[in-house]
Amino acid sequence: MSATLRYREASVGYDAPVVLGATLEVLPGEIVGLIGPNGAGKTTLVRSVTGEARVMAGEVLVAGRDVASYRRIELARLVGVLPQTVPAPFSFAARQFVEMGRHARMSRFGGLGSADHAAVARAMLLTDTTALADVPVDTLSGGDLQRLTLAQALSQEPQVLLLDEPTSHLDLNHRLQVLDVVRGLADDGMAVLAVFHDLDMAARYADRLAVVADGRLFEADTPDAVLTSRMLSDVFGVRAVIGADPVTGTVQVLPVVRTQERAPSRGVRVLVVSGSGAGAGLLRRLVVAGFDVEAGALARGDTDEKVATSLDVPFVPLPPYGSMRAQDESAVRDTASHADAIVVCAAPFGPANLGNLRAVARFASRTVLLGTLAAEEDFAHGEALRLWSALQRGGALQCEDVRSITACVEEVASR
Amino acid sequence: MTSSGRMRAIVVLGALVAALAVAFVAGAAFGAVPVAPAEVVRALARALRGLALSPEQAVIMELRMPRVLLAALVGACLAGAGVLYQALFRNALADPYILGVSSGAGLGAALALAIGGLGTISLFAVPVSAFLGAMATIVVVAAIATRRRVMDTLSLLLAGVAVSYTLSALTSFVLVVRREQMSRIVFWMMGGLQAATWQQVAIVAGMLAVGLAVPLFFTRELNIILLGDERAGELGVDVERFKRIVLAAASLLVSAAVSVSGLIGFVGLMTPHMARLVLGPDHRLLLPASVLSGAVVMVLADLVARVVLAPVELPVGIVTALAGGPVFVWLLLRSRTGRA
Repeated sequence: MSATLRYREASVGYDAPVVLGATLEVLPGEIVGLIGPNGAGKTTLVRSVTGEARVMAGEVLVAGRDVASYRRIELARLVGVLPQTVPAPFSFAARQFVEMGRHARMSRFGGLGSADHAAVARAMLLTDTTALADVPVDTLSGGDLQRLTLAQALSQEPQVLLLDEPTSHLDLNHRLQVLDVVRGLADDGMAVLAVFHDLDMAARYADRLAVVADGRLFEADTPDAVLTSRMLSDVFGVRAVIGADPVTGTVQVLPVVRTQERAPSRGVRVLVVSGSGAGAGLLRRLVVAGFDVEAGALARGDTDEKVATSLDVPFVPLPPYGSMRAQDESAVRDTASHADAIVVCAAPFGPANLGNLRAVARFASRTVLLGTLAAEEDFAHGEALRLWSALQRGGALQCEDVRSITACVEEVASR
Repeated sequence: MTSSGRMRAIVVLGALVAALAVAFVAGAAFGAVPVAPAEVVRALARALRGLALSPEQAVIMELRMPRVLLAALVGACLAGAGVLYQALFRNALADPYILGVSSGAGLGAALALAIGGLGTISLFAVPVSAFLGAMATIVVVAAIATRRRVMDTLSLLLAGVAVSYTLSALTSFVLVVRREQMSRIVFWMMGGLQAATWQQVAIVAGMLAVGLAVPLFFTRELNIILLGDERAGELGVDVERFKRIVLAAASLLVSAAVSVSGLIGFVGLMTPHMARLVLGPDHRLLLPASVLSGAVVMVLADLVARVVLAPVELPVGIVTALAGGPVFVWLLLRSRTGRA
């Protein structure tokens, strides 16, 4: 009792093809996620299984048989679908709505049998909708309706489950609940193909992910292999920090900036001295504003380092928890000497990164000090505070608010 | 259906059957010459047993009974067609005449009256011609709306409007050309049951049986189709085949009604709508209940048409439209402020 969903060189679309030559296999027991920008054809791929989109070349197979060769009612016994939206304009009771999923398994004559009632009850229990049974569906919230629609699909007792943005209307709790249910169904042998917009959820629940973009379906692979900053930049046009979900350890995507948000270059070179995440927002802001940004020395794993990497901002790399060596400091000094402006953030400074401050010490007139360095952020026995006030005395421009940083940088750059 | 739902269905349908029986007796008893309701029952009983009838009982059986039965059948057909069209268009305010059936039947009847003109030929020619006009209209409209073997409901509506206007223009043309027949044609279009015969009763009953029996096997699909063509397909409904079956059944019903009664408005729109408001959207109950309600409404409307200006008869279409129009407006206003 397990069926595989297989796309074999399938070109699918409506009047014209949307996705060309798609090849993908969704095996019993796995969740395969489809990701990609809006309009790329993820939904079209899903809809081609149920005949709503046309298969123009190649094949789409369920349990080894071309989907076009199935009668609708046969296919509905194998494949359940949770579409993006389900209109519920008439006031059926929620339970009646779920019972409609049994249509393909009932005879034309007679009503619901005990097997039907059991399947409906189970589907409603799994989707946490039992309490809604008597509520008219046209009064339900989008999230309740989405879970009921999943219940409707599950009451079909399908072997292949197609989910199109299964959690788009759901709150955080129900999002996890629904995906946990789907995970459980997959573990029991269902083949699941799901369209995801939430990449973190995709990484967390899918066994494999496949990117749909530019009219193609790219080869499916593990979330770690697919969710790279390069893919996000190429496919979504977003610079992002790829991290690890601190709870599950799965890939987590933190978008930093949209590629097209970047202003054209101002031809102004800016060195940013920061650390421990103090400069992350600043780096993004300056890059978007069109400055040619470089960073001082940053330790691997530091938040500022991840953001700088995602933005293609050059920096002097330090090993994790490592200290700046003499050559690191002179590299920063070298950058500083060529920079039109230097921004120094009120970041925690200690022996490991104090060299950054020393490196810019003699360029006070071209420096903007962002914020105020508090004594408790000086882990260098007063040395950081001393260097900071030396910059102030040397004529550095004080900037209190990161929102006015563009003007401050332009001001010192024109000195 | 749950067991409590089944109980409710039995109660509702039982009550409607009882109401229909009362309406039958009332419809046969009242008229230009009133008779006692008991006499109606007695006449029925004697006729059923094949016993000889008194002159008064013969009047009841030969004039009143066919008329009342035909009224019930026409009402049932219109309401049944209304339910089916409303499901097909997923719109609780869809009307049996929505696809231009009325214009097609009108043109058919007008042609028969204009050409036949005199004598007994038109007695059969008019209903047959109206029926053919109605069916032909739907076939044309459905053909226009079908592309790549898919019948699009929006195209169906638009094609219905376009075809309907064209046919109305042709009917007007016939009216102008055969001005001497104008009053008969216009009178036919107003809708009425004056010429009811047992023969008509038998024919319409046959069409009602076919046009209703088929959809009664498809009540589950009628429910599911309300979720949209796409979802219905995902749940295992062969949507295109189903739409054709429903369209054919609904068209048979409405054509049968129109052919013997002319254009009687609002029964096919209002009755299913009201039934849905009271009973909910489940077609397993809605379809039979609407059909029975349509029969009751029509028998009563015809009764009103006969007695209100007695001995002059009003076309029953005027009664249903006068009562139905304002109710429809009220429903519209109500659905704008709250739920339909």
